[in-house]
Amino acid sequence: MVSMDLDRTTTALLAALHDSSNAAAWESFDRRYRPVLIGFARSCGLSDHDAAELAQSSIVRFIEQYRDGKYDRDRGRLGAWLVTIAKYRLLDMRRKKASMPVAQGESAIVNLDDDRSVGDAYDTQRRLAILREALQELSEKTKTDPKTIRAFELLYYHGMSAQAVAADLGMQPQEVYLAKSRVAARIREIVSRIEREFEEAPGEWDSSPSRPSAALGG
Amino acid sequence: MGFVAESALGGAWRLRSLGVVQSIDTDLPEDEEGAPIGCGRMPRESLELAAIARADCSIEVDERTSTHLVICKPCLEAVGQLAREHALLTELASAARPEPAAQGARSEGASLSAEEIPGYRLSREIHRGGQGAVYLAEQLATRRTCAVKMLLGGRFATPVQRTRFEREVEVVAGLRHPGIVTLYESGLTRKGEPWFAMEFVEGERLDEFVRRVGADQRAIAELMRRVADTVAYAHRRGVIHRDLKPGNILVDQDGATRILDFGLARSSTGAEAADPRSSSTLAGEFVGTFAYAAPEQLAGDPSLVDSRCDLYALGVLFFELLAGQRPFEGAKSIAELVAQKTTGATLRPSAPAAARGRAVDSDLDVIVLRLLAPDPARRYATAAALAEDLGRYLDGRPILAREDSLAYVVTKTVRRHWLASGAAAVFLLTVVGASVALAVALARAEREQERVRRAYSAFGAALASANPEEGEGSSAMNVRDFLELVEKEVRTELSDEPEVLAEMLKTLGVIQLAFDDPERSRGPILSAHDYFSHAYGSGRIGPDSMAESEFALARQLFLERDLSGSEEAYRRAIGLRELAFGPTAVETVDLERQLATVLRRQGRIAEARALLDEALVHADGFSSTKEAARVRAGILNGQAVLAAETGDHRRAIESFRIILSELREIVPGNDFRRGRTLSSLAQSEAALGMLDSAERHAEEAVAILTERKGAGAQWTREATEILAKIRAARAAAAPR
Repeated sequence: MVSMDLDRTTTALLAALHDSSNAAAWESFDRRYRPVLIGFARSCGLSDHDAAELAQSSIVRFIEQYRDGKYDRDRGRLGAWLVTIAKYRLLDMRRKKASMPVAQGESAIVNLDDDRSVGDAYDTQRRLAILREALQELSEKTKTDPKTIRAFELLYYHGMSAQAVAADLGMQPQEVYLAKSRVAARIREIVSRIEREFEEAPGEWDSSPSRPSAALGG
Repeated sequence: MGFVAESALGGAWRLRSLGVVQSIDTDLPEDEEGAPIGCGRMPRESLELAAIARADCSIEVDERTSTHLVICKPCLEAVGQLAREHALLTELASAARPEPAAQGARSEGASLSAEEIPGYRLSREIHRGGQGAVYLAEQLATRRTCAVKMLLGGRFATPVQRTRFEREVEVVAGLRHPGIVTLYESGLTRKGEPWFAMEFVEGERLDEFVRRVGADQRAIAELMRRVADTVAYAHRRGVIHRDLKPGNILVDQDGATRILDFGLARSSTGAEAADPRSSSTLAGEFVGTFAYAAPEQLAGDPSLVDSRCDLYALGVLFFELLAGQRPFEGAKSIAELVAQKTTGATLRPSAPAAARGRAVDSDLDVIVLRLLAPDPARRYATAAALAEDLGRYLDGRPILAREDSLAYVVTKTVRRHWLASGAAAVFLLTVVGASVALAVALARAEREQERVRRAYSAFGAALASANPEEGEGSSAMNVRDFLELVEKEVRTELSDEPEVLAEMLKTLGVIQLAFDDPERSRGPILSAHDYFSHAYGSGRIGPDSMAESEFALARQLFLERDLSGSEEAYRRAIGLRELAFGPTAVETVDLERQLATVLRRQGRIAEARALLDEALVHADGFSSTKEAARVRAGILNGQAVLAAETGDHRRAIESFRIILSELREIVPGNDFRRGRTLSSLAQSEAALGMLDSAERHAEEAVAILTERKGAGAQWTREATEILAKIRAARAAAAPR
């Protein structure tokens, strides 16, 4: 159940990052954290272009600091460090542009002065990234019957009833429910493994969002 | 229904003690082999539905399923498991929605061209959240700047949903208030996604504004009063916000509060029902929305949700602004948050505020707790009432928010919720525990004591007023004069405690009534009735209290010979007692018996007879209490009087004798009921020429009624008249 693919864990990744010639390690790091940073920037109200720019500059900054030996694992989670970097880059960006529009009301709007709000936004994006990775893994790497996945998709992407899905796929409604439960079980397994790989607080949807705020300076 | 409530409660106790409530949060083994889940007797489909209903308010669970879930542990566990499954898959589906930014260069914003939203030129994206994106745009026809909001993934599958969406938007667009960000128009993109064009407001979120300017409690109360005013305006037009939170309330450059997205939560609910992908279950948003949602919004039954959910959200917001934290901050999971919300806030904003060195007046504590009441009936009835109370606070006048009576909280809250609906019952099962009910009761008891103290002190002042040296007392004063003095005194003493005052006036009025003195009882009874009607209308008192007041009014009008008014009041009182005690309860049947008298007095003999016959059937089912026996004797009396009035004196005499022998067991010899029955018996005996016993019985009746009711009372006068006629008849019949 638990992947022993250690080179994917953050610890292993961090070790490998010290070797600047280890392109695979950097790629792996980038693949994992760039989408999270982009999503975070977007939830702070940035446009696609600015979000991509912010993610890029944050990763570059991270690499610099990491190579300078400024990142101390004992001082907090990797995510907390990253989001702190991103936050200050974002504030910088705002200062330069001076007239960033005031966001229209949405609960998801991030208040950069509030560490918790920043932490929540980052966690949301991290969770999204994990789910997307899990979904990809489900269809590409597991031996889950395509029909099972299809049943889930029809139920949840297309909002069809179990009866309609059953008719569509030539199954019994009971089998549709079973398929759905199977997908949930697989996904839960994959998600909890990736969560461990991120080495941050577990993220069952109904547990409190893990907060990097402790590590965030004011 | 009573049975359902009891068994549901019993189930909760039992299940809690078995630890089922905790097991909701733990994982169960998957049923890989497809073995039936739950107890195997419930269709899988019903369990799946119940699970979805936990997250989706628009799904209703049938009564059979919800009742079953209350008592069946395996099925309840299965629903818990399925609900977690559903939440995970919904979250997964929404994560799978293509996020342009994550995929690289392609921008959703760029893809939204003027042709997609006809009449608008979109200039740039100004915000993106889980629900959708907001663009700065120009309305081409008017050249005005506006904001266009796209609801992502919120597609309408059916024409019916589309029509409903359009109709709702029409209503919302009709809102014109300086405190509301005006919705200009809306439509659907070619892909069927709804968009809204609204006024563009530059402002700061309310909570950020409060933090930035360091607003004190008065400033916060003033901001809240303005928000409540605005919400009241929308409510009066039938529009509920349903998603009030700091992000939806802006303070603009002039310092005015502006509420965004009025009524859109409902529209988007319609969209979400069609497309589960759009359910806001992304972890962050879910928590955000949960924090401000009223318990009934989380209960899964849309019929429970009304404008008072907005008042709850305002309560959370108010708490947050005053205290610097949300009322249920400690919750470690959504399940826990929901549990805390349902059992009610015990934390007052002043406590966490004090920890931050801020002052919060106790009046504001009371207002906030009132808003956060788990039972909507215990909150302010309207946003206007909230605005009014905040105005009173700001003016330094006493606020009107009153605490609940102990009995009401313990019985009514629980009863209402248990009966509310299937899904709600299931939901509550996980959260309503006896210990909590007790904690709430104790907290209320403390406040109840304060009211009792006030009532006593007012009564003490009233007593003092009868002091012949210091007050107005004199040796000539009788009980009724004294009561009148008390009335005058309590009206002054308790003018700021309307509920206690109304209760005392009702009691005073009923005593005056019992002296058959409608002139003296009229004032207090009508005043109390006015207050109670208002309090009942706004949910501050229960049907049992309201029934008392209607009953008093019915008797008052009966004595004033306003028979049709009395009949109406009796019927209202009966309806209320049916609600409070059940249709065959002693309390209800007793009123039916009395209504029969009103009908008889109006000459509606057949109706009166039918009502009494029915009452007697119910009375046969009474348990053997004295009260039940008295009501039963009253029914028999009614039937006997009817018989006498229709000329069947033999039957009447027989009945009156039975009643007298029954009364002997349950009331003292000089009870007014005995006097009244003796008087009726004498009348029937006289009609049949049995003048000796008639005279004896009439004399006894006059004696009893004069003693208990007074010589001037109506019944005494009637009995005296009967006696006089009998004596005259005897004199006429006597040999000269």
